[in-house]
Amino acid sequence: MNESEYQALIEASWRRSLTDDEQARLDAWLRAHPEAHNEWEAESTLNRLLEQLPDAPVASNFTARVLQAVERESAAAARRDSKSIFDRVKQWFWRPAPRMAWALLVAVLLGFGYHQHQTNVRGEMATGLSVLANVATLSGPAVLQDFEAIERLGKSAPGDDEELYALLQK
Amino acid sequence: MLRVKQGDCGAFEELVEKYKQPVMNMVYRTLPDATEAEDLAQHVFLQVFKSAHRYEVSAKFTTWLFTIARNLCLNEIRRRSRHPAQSLDETFEDNDEQPVRQAEDLRTFSPPDSLLHGELEAKVEEALAELPEKQRTAILMCRGDEFSYEDIAEVLECSVSATKSLIHRGRETLKQKLKPYLKTGAWKEK
Repeated sequence: MNESEYQALIEASWRRSLTDDEQARLDAWLRAHPEAHNEWEAESTLNRLLEQLPDAPVASNFTARVLQAVERESAAAARRDSKSIFDRVKQWFWRPAPRMAWALLVAVLLGFGYHQHQTNVRGEMATGLSVLANVATLSGPAVLQDFEAIERLGKSAPGDDEELYALLQK
Repeated sequence: MLRVKQGDCGAFEELVEKYKQPVMNMVYRTLPDATEAEDLAQHVFLQVFKSAHRYEVSAKFTTWLFTIARNLCLNEIRRRSRHPAQSLDETFEDNDEQPVRQAEDLRTFSPPDSLLHGELEAKVEEALAELPEKQRTAILMCRGDEFSYEDIAEVLECSVSATKSLIHRGRETLKQKLKPYLKTGAWKEK
């Protein structure tokens, strides 16, 4: 065994007990190198002390408390998810850039509405003007001299017609 | 862990039962207040549950778990360093060479011929507590064969050779600090 193998055995002893074969090789090395005895003694004693370190105290209800915490977390996450859409929209809406975007959108809609209104007004005005133009092409007032008599004929009562019919039969 | 990833609470309970002691051992030796350590350890498992969807099958669970535990411990130490009134330390630097907790002991010891085991245990704990965080974590994870050097290196976010160096330096410091309390073999004063 050489020095590096000896170091490898020491490293192995940090993690686990040496096997019989490893222990035999180590003993042989220590017999051949008595100056290494103190080092090995220190290493093995420290290994023992570290192995014997007691476990940290753990409450008997540790697992139950973890599970409770997980349940609380799950419930909180569910609540967050349920209201988060509204909150996110609300938060997003009040951020500077979206606010400007919203303001711009409202301005565009108002402008478009005003433009539509103006177009409608102009359309109605054009229609009115075309009617007036047609009126200007009608015949003169003489055409309408029997207008009232003709209109009255249309308004005669059915009784008049029956009376006239009876006279004609005679 | 795959069952936990699929939302199996029973599997999560099994995980907590299995790993609560090793996690507590690590956290307790970083934040040696039992109540705070337990709160933090619970938070570790809560974080595991919340992060389960991010767990990669290729990763070793214990490595992932202890990485979470260590990160939360470091966050807590940093938080304390920002709020000195709540901190055990006056200052803290995240530096391997700078011990996380400088519980300086100004007493001079004149060890009796035989130390009670409990006292020796306390001295070991004290010496461990005075180690830089990385050295302490490496030494604690190195006990037993649960973690390979590669695993420890992954948790500590350093190379395997750096990990071995951390363990070696930490153990040398422990040997020096504990020398006065042990009267056998190499521990005898020369």
